[in-house]
Amino acid sequence: MTQATEQTRTRDNGVWYWTARNTTIVAAVFSAVFTALLVTNLIGSGVIQPWRENRLAALKLRIQKEPANQELVSQVRRLDLKIRRDRIWRLDFARKATHMLLGSVVVLLVAGGIAGKMKKELPRPQHQPDIGLMQMQEAKQARLAVVGALAVLVLSGLLLAMSRWVRFAQPEDSGPAFATAEEMRQQWPRFRGPAGAGISAYSNIPTQWNGKTGEGILWKSKVPLPGRNSPVVWKDRIFMSGADPNKRQVYCFDAATGQLLWTGDVPTVPLPKDKELNVMEDTGYAPSTMATEGRRVYAIFPTGDVAGFDFQGRRLWHRNLGLPDSSYGYASSLETYEKLVLIQFDQGDGKEGKSRFIALDGQSGKIAWEAKRETPNSWTTPIVVDIAGRPQLITVAKPFVISYNPANGAELWRAECVGGDVAPSPIYAGGLVIAIEPYSQVVAVKPTGQGNVTKTHVVWHMEDSGPDICSPVSDGRYVYTLESGGLLLCCNVEDGKKLYEMDLKEECRASPGIVDDKLYLLDLKGIMHIAQIGPEYKEIATCELGEECFASPAFADGRIYLRGAEHLYCIGKAP
Amino acid sequence: MTRWARITAFMIVLLIPSLDALGELRFPPPEFESGYQFPQTTSPPALPAIHEYIDAAVLLAALLLATYLILKRRSRRAIFALMLFALLYFGFWRDGCICPIGAIQNVTLTIFDSSYAIPLTAGIFFVLPLVFTLFVGRTFCGAVCPLGAIQDAVLIHPVVVPRWLESGLRLMAYTYLGAAVLFAAIGNAFLICRYDPFVGFFRLSGNWNVLIIGASLLLIGLFIGRPYCRFLCPYGVLLRQMSRLSKWRVTITPNECIKCRLCEGACPFGAIREPTGDWPQGEYKIAKRRLALFLLLLPVLVAAGGWGGYTLKERLARVHPRVRTAERVYLEETGRVEGTTNASDAFRATGRTTEELYQEATAIRDRFAIGGTLLGGFLGLVVAGKLVALSVRRRRSEYEADRASCFACGRCYQYCPKERERWKKNKGVVAGR
Repeated sequence: MTQATEQTRTRDNGVWYWTARNTTIVAAVFSAVFTALLVTNLIGSGVIQPWRENRLAALKLRIQKEPANQELVSQVRRLDLKIRRDRIWRLDFARKATHMLLGSVVVLLVAGGIAGKMKKELPRPQHQPDIGLMQMQEAKQARLAVVGALAVLVLSGLLLAMSRWVRFAQPEDSGPAFATAEEMRQQWPRFRGPAGAGISAYSNIPTQWNGKTGEGILWKSKVPLPGRNSPVVWKDRIFMSGADPNKRQVYCFDAATGQLLWTGDVPTVPLPKDKELNVMEDTGYAPSTMATEGRRVYAIFPTGDVAGFDFQGRRLWHRNLGLPDSSYGYASSLETYEKLVLIQFDQGDGKEGKSRFIALDGQSGKIAWEAKRETPNSWTTPIVVDIAGRPQLITVAKPFVISYNPANGAELWRAECVGGDVAPSPIYAGGLVIAIEPYSQVVAVKPTGQGNVTKTHVVWHMEDSGPDICSPVSDGRYVYTLESGGLLLCCNVEDGKKLYEMDLKEECRASPGIVDDKLYLLDLKGIMHIAQIGPEYKEIATCELGEECFASPAFADGRIYLRGAEHLYCIGKAP
Repeated sequence: MTRWARITAFMIVLLIPSLDALGELRFPPPEFESGYQFPQTTSPPALPAIHEYIDAAVLLAALLLATYLILKRRSRRAIFALMLFALLYFGFWRDGCICPIGAIQNVTLTIFDSSYAIPLTAGIFFVLPLVFTLFVGRTFCGAVCPLGAIQDAVLIHPVVVPRWLESGLRLMAYTYLGAAVLFAAIGNAFLICRYDPFVGFFRLSGNWNVLIIGASLLLIGLFIGRPYCRFLCPYGVLLRQMSRLSKWRVTITPNECIKCRLCEGACPFGAIREPTGDWPQGEYKIAKRRLALFLLLLPVLVAAGGWGGYTLKERLARVHPRVRTAERVYLEETGRVEGTTNASDAFRATGRTTEELYQEATAIRDRFAIGGTLLGGFLGLVVAGKLVALSVRRRRSEYEADRASCFACGRCYQYCPKERERWKKNKGVVAGR
């Protein structure tokens, strides 16, 4: 009876073991099948899908060229739908198969565990010789293991100690955050060079070249995107910007070879629904000249986007000041003072309080100071000049010439003496600030007052000239103004007395420059008229570039950089 | 390795691509040309607080039930069933969050950051298992912890880890605990959550590297019982100390040990301790000298560890994202690296100056000087403490579950003939009724 019961129990256990074992095998097969399906699905996603997506992208590119091709449009739609359906199907499949696989693995584990347990043998303890000694040895080994773990910890610490870390150098170690005034004077760091005067620090500037024949041209490089802004030069690098309605870029060229070293993109923010970017063709999408303080370089665009880059092309910061309300498109260029980026952000009609003067920290792009202005939109570029040991930031916009402290934006003085849509920038010459009211007059103000100096410090008016675009230039004795129609006028700095006028008979957009005792006048066709400085017009040479020029020339040691409509030219003698 | 173990290991490895497949299939929204207005992106509303209270209530109920099943009912099957429930509820249903292990960091942050308010559930999840362990041993580990449960579920062919090796490996858990507390306090990083090896399985999605770590632990767990719990779990370190003080705990036998030795190999976690034997001749004096040496070594190791942690402050501080960003920005600013990273771009978009960033990073490094010293000192103390503990001989007259190491899984009950006798008796009582 007992034997029969034992046999039945063994048979029953055999059946259970057989069931558990076979369930495990079935679960393993199921798991393998689902895994294979999932892997196939994954491969399908990684191989077929990208192939289809590339095809779709190619078709979309074709649509741009053939927008009227309806067959192509429906082909794209069909393929797009197919891709999406396939993706959703694969996603759904992956989810379901994963759950099935999980289920199979759980069954596999449970059945495998049961089968394993059924085959488990009963414990048969062996004879232990000397438990006390064994425990003592075990404790000894454990202590050694702890010491070993300590050694691993120490080793890990040593490896960690060998890893590099960065020591933040103190500000004095990393050098000043901006170039010295003397360094700035040797470079061409902004629109029209140091202090916006248009005067070269070098006298070894070429007086003969021909862009068509290549004579005197060291190199010529294509500029990727158009722009009316002028080149800025710092040692071996030339900076410019370019833009179209969709892109804003900053370029850095190698002064030695003309190679484009890097291109920096400047992002923007979407425009509000009720606003759109309107710029005149003459202004373009990149009219503002960049500026540098010798460490970083800055650019601003008519979209209100301003950005700082380091000399390696890394964008350090970007900020959008809001779309400026400007009749012809925002075009003022940037100025710097120490590590501040100075932005004359005039806009609107002057009554809405939109205009501001903004100083940004060049390292961070953070606003350092801001000054409200009651001026309407203007297109002039501010200048920072040192007057009797006091730096002054001078701005011109209807109806004021205003001077600020560039360090904190405090207003120093103002003179109500200009009107109209002002574009020519001011200069400081012969102890006077020279400003221009377009189509009307040239005004000279003595920059030594305080408060409103309209009645006390406006030294002279000269009503024979009033350029609408080009800024004046002066050697300290004579002031030269150039109208966009090509009329050149010379007057005394001291009293504004007109000395001569000369019609170049060419349209001009570039502002004139002075090299040593020579006047450089670039017309729209790209012809440079070089004349002798003096009370009479005396032409020395004319040099043709062969390309339209809107931008003003940049002068460096033995070189002139000219931006044509499409190219950047380096004029100079080969070393 | 048994055949089943091999098959299972193979299947678990194959499971990994399926998890990834879910995460990979993302695609951009369609480009409609019909003026279709995309719906505004919205965030799902936060779960009502009631869910948190339910979780806390479920935890309390599970702990009470586990205590009853482990200490009173002494049923491995019932414990296993509760463990599976905990795995499904706290693991797969609640996505492995919140758990007491991660709650260590919430508690730490509450102590060190006055602006941080710990969620009530996190506090409850941290405290409840500790309180239960203080009274009844590690019932939380045995039946309620989802991380323990998933490892326990895959344990098919346990292999004995030598006790000496276990002593060495356990240092990893102390190091992990120290690092997790330090980084939660001042490193702005929740290490335990970031490297939770099983949360990816619970959520069926996750970081590829962590999934690999989890899969590896499960693979190891096929043969070595609960490797994460034994050698890595930082909460386990706290539970071990609490369990040492527990008033009630798991006993292998329901009444008296007859020293039959049948339970010797019963515990897959190596927690059963045999009765102590006699001291070998002359060992007592050596042991005394050794103990004195280690006691003298204790302050030395603490000081050395503290000094080591202090010297590593700059390296340890790199865990903090702000320090890493500052270092990257500095390298970019000084032209030592080319290009920018998302972090450096994001910093520049904030409009803050680099000097501010460097100052902040330096302040964090200074905090790590203190934190690193404490961490090093703590590890020195642990090592010295372990050496001291291993030099002290404790007397045991019968087979018993080690208070600190026992996970209260109840596997050992069935190996005890006294326990089987009790079952038979209980069965008879039930039959007699």
